[in-house]
Amino acid sequence: MKPAAVVIGAGVNELVAAHYLARAGCAVTLVRSEVALERADTGWVTPRLAHDLGIDPRLLGAPCADPWAIAPLPGGGRLELTSDVGASAEAIRRLSARDAERWPEFCARMHAHARVLGCLYAEPPPDPMATALRDLARLARGALRVRGLGRSGMEAFLRLLPMSAADFLDDWFESDALKGVLGAAGVMHAFQGPRSGGTAFGLLHHHVGSAPGVFRPPLTNLRAALGAVGGVTMRGGTVARIETKESRITGVALAGGETIPAPLVVSGLPPARTLLEMTDPGLLDPQLVRALRNVRSRGVVAELELVLDRHPGSSTLVIAPALDYLERAYDDAKYGRVSTHPYMEARYEGTDAQGKHRVRVHVQYVPYALRDAVWDTALAQNFGRAVLAKLSEHAPGLSAALVGQHVLTPHDLEHLYGFPQGQAYHAELALDQVLWMRPLPELAQYRTPLPGLYLCGPAMHPGAGVAGAAGANAAAVILGDLRRGVLKVKE
Amino acid sequence: MKTRYDAIVIGAGHNGLVCAAYLARAGKRVLVLERSDRVGGAARSEEVFPGFRFSVFSYVVSLLRPEIIRDLELPRHGLHILPLESTLTPLANGDYLAQWSDHDQNRRELAHHSLRDAEAYEEFGMLMYRMARAVKPFLGRVPPDPASLAPRDLLGLARLAANLRGLGADQVHALHKLLTMSSADYLDEWFECEALKATKSASGIIGTFLGPRSPGTAYVLLHHYMGEIDGVFRAWGFAKGGNGSVSDAIAAAARGFGVEIRTESTVARVLVRNGRATGVALESGGEIEAALVVSGADPRRTFMQLVGAEHLPQEFVAGIERFRFRGSSGKVNLALAELPDFSCFPGAGPHLRGAISISPSVDYLERAYDDAKYGEVSRQPYMDIVIPSMIDPSMAPPGKHVMSIFVQYVPHNVNGGWTEAKREAFGDTVIDTLAQHAPNIRSAILHRQIITPADIESMVGLTEGNIFQGELALQQMFFLRPVPGWAKYATPVSGLYQCGSGTHPGGGVMGASGRNAAFAILGERP
Repeated sequence: MKPAAVVIGAGVNELVAAHYLARAGCAVTLVRSEVALERADTGWVTPRLAHDLGIDPRLLGAPCADPWAIAPLPGGGRLELTSDVGASAEAIRRLSARDAERWPEFCARMHAHARVLGCLYAEPPPDPMATALRDLARLARGALRVRGLGRSGMEAFLRLLPMSAADFLDDWFESDALKGVLGAAGVMHAFQGPRSGGTAFGLLHHHVGSAPGVFRPPLTNLRAALGAVGGVTMRGGTVARIETKESRITGVALAGGETIPAPLVVSGLPPARTLLEMTDPGLLDPQLVRALRNVRSRGVVAELELVLDRHPGSSTLVIAPALDYLERAYDDAKYGRVSTHPYMEARYEGTDAQGKHRVRVHVQYVPYALRDAVWDTALAQNFGRAVLAKLSEHAPGLSAALVGQHVLTPHDLEHLYGFPQGQAYHAELALDQVLWMRPLPELAQYRTPLPGLYLCGPAMHPGAGVAGAAGANAAAVILGDLRRGVLKVKE
Repeated sequence: MKTRYDAIVIGAGHNGLVCAAYLARAGKRVLVLERSDRVGGAARSEEVFPGFRFSVFSYVVSLLRPEIIRDLELPRHGLHILPLESTLTPLANGDYLAQWSDHDQNRRELAHHSLRDAEAYEEFGMLMYRMARAVKPFLGRVPPDPASLAPRDLLGLARLAANLRGLGADQVHALHKLLTMSSADYLDEWFECEALKATKSASGIIGTFLGPRSPGTAYVLLHHYMGEIDGVFRAWGFAKGGNGSVSDAIAAAARGFGVEIRTESTVARVLVRNGRATGVALESGGEIEAALVVSGADPRRTFMQLVGAEHLPQEFVAGIERFRFRGSSGKVNLALAELPDFSCFPGAGPHLRGAISISPSVDYLERAYDDAKYGEVSRQPYMDIVIPSMIDPSMAPPGKHVMSIFVQYVPHNVNGGWTEAKREAFGDTVIDTLAQHAPNIRSAILHRQIITPADIESMVGLTEGNIFQGELALQQMFFLRPVPGWAKYATPVSGLYQCGSGTHPGGGVMGASGRNAAFAILGERP
């Protein structure tokens, strides 16, 4: 007999964790306290996850934009990058013959590197301090995978991780337009510029699970597919508190006063919110409380949702014309300003129920905390207009086709989706916040100091970009704990 | 007459001299060839203006390995280090932040700015002390190659893993953070006082082409925390007579072991026959044979100029070409008629016996970096100022003073290239910035020497003027320095070794690279 479990959150990880637990025999209630994102999730779905949850992998692939990047060139014309490595190379050749020659090798190398990360992402993070044989074996497996790249591959992999995207790309290419498009993947959602250390890792992370030659995270219908599976009780409501008795979990209390008893609670909300706001921080070690407050989750992205009465003409428009352009955009954010010339990426998302065409624009850098202003409606409107004007320079028909627009500032993203400070990844993707450090070494194995309370959101390894993996890893840890009797629950 | 040497060391920089001394101590016949008219490389003292002696480039001592001081008996050869007791940071509002070596005084001063920071400072200091202790053993060791299956490397890796795990979880995690974070983020976790964070994070950017908010700078912070004089942590000091005295003492020790040092002997080429180094050719003509050649020059100069790509595997050459230098710092040396009078701390107080750091806020440092990113000298640069004549009066005529100003960022590849006018403009920027804090400085200046990265390159031979012979970035350290697979001082040319700061651990007047190289050559464990 397995215990009852409550899973908190509206994201794909929570849903995956809930289904894993339900399949193992837990009576699972999923409480959605936030609005679910109404769009396909970004991120690769590991084949094992699809297999474990009994989903036909063919149902998971959402149509991925191809070309995956269309970048306007300064002198007119565009650079189109597609999943066809050869075709992309031909497009690059118009900018630089040298870059075109290097493109296939670059794609092959990056794909090999990304596969190593992919393997590390499909299981709980290795723990370098582990003593148990099982954990040591996992550590050894990780090390062997890296060695499996061969001498030069392994050296390149280890050298890549701490590098800046700019240095890394400068080693390979000379074309500004190409480096801009790739560099953007390095800084996506990061409060760092392409010259900051660790952003080459960001580029690699966003390549995990993509086809060779595609440097944007894939999309997936995983949530829709799981919605059809059933077996989990879904309900709305806001969890006000996670109830404890003698530091053991007893259930959750909803904002309306209702309580759901359960000895097992899994939260997909940000760790600081879960542990500091929903439980009694007095139960935690003060060191951990301090460390939780130090987890970096600074939002730097705003979104613009556009509704058009005709097709925008291109699938993915990327405005990141050069690494220096991105760096200058970051410079503004460093001093608490919205980028004068932001990195923008407009993705076509199909038609809505009324047959209107939807486009979502990723705008970076838009700091959550502005130094000389406060986010309010007027500021958000002005910002939206400015973005639209800039976008129209590259997509002339846009404003004429526009029938509706909606701006989501980092504050809106926080209120709507519970992103802490508007940071979609809950904890920034940086080398000190990945693997056994994500989000903190004390929490990296999905367990919290409160027996029965686990974390499964994007702040956990491997984070956003790998859809549902944090949820699947958390469930694996929980079920392991139940099996080994580490987590004892009264039935 | 033709003498055959066991080893020729190219360059009498401090690492070359250390390496030569250790080799000679083990009974080798060693010849050191130096291009300039004196030993020391970038650690040299010079009477630049009559009566005024300067540590022209490198200007403080702290990282010099205590085992080298011991093994080579440097104090007996004239090394005398005088402690540097404080750091003063003038603030924009007319106040200042001072850090004193006296514990209680320091605490009182910090508490005046932030009680919280005064509390945190102790714990922070303890942690950094433990971290520095944890890392230090790795500096004096030949880095194992993780891609190799040789028993020696596997053993080295296992030892490394055991050492690391032996530190315990807390320290391993703290070390991980130090290796991967930005110094600004790292310090944000501890402190709130802007000037304190800025002054501390400034040591994280020295010699790098990164801003304090860029990941990777926290490690350099630790690197500078490792400063020690005779085993005392965190103490920085001056060598009596300038930093040239450090080199002179090592040279004297080396000569004592029988090393022959020839100055004004420029090596034009390393002689390679059948993939083996057989000696060197001098620029003045003539060749000198030796069983081994050890280069203290930086990796690019060593391999691309002295050896030549034709003698090297293509992949290795590509690795050397990728190795980044990007000098980012310059120096201004001033001969002064009187002491500077700082508005925030008037008069000739004890603060003038320490360092003065122009680093009022992290944003200030970031803005300085922004200018350099786009190819300009910082309009408001970070400056680390010392007045050696305050501690060692022999450096200047009576009543007069010498001031050394380390300046960052000064990009090597400045827009339009370095010209005489640009150099003067850079000097003016430094003086203008200093005058904002010490208005009397302009009238006090008798002479000024301005050194750009291009000057460092032409005067000392450091590629792109990088003071560490290659950036101290994580992707260029440990088994990756300078090229993966070739971090153990040996090179693809048999009989040719490297011993400069471009090898592990690199950076600062430390001597560890030279010592490690000597042990690698002798086939012994350091």
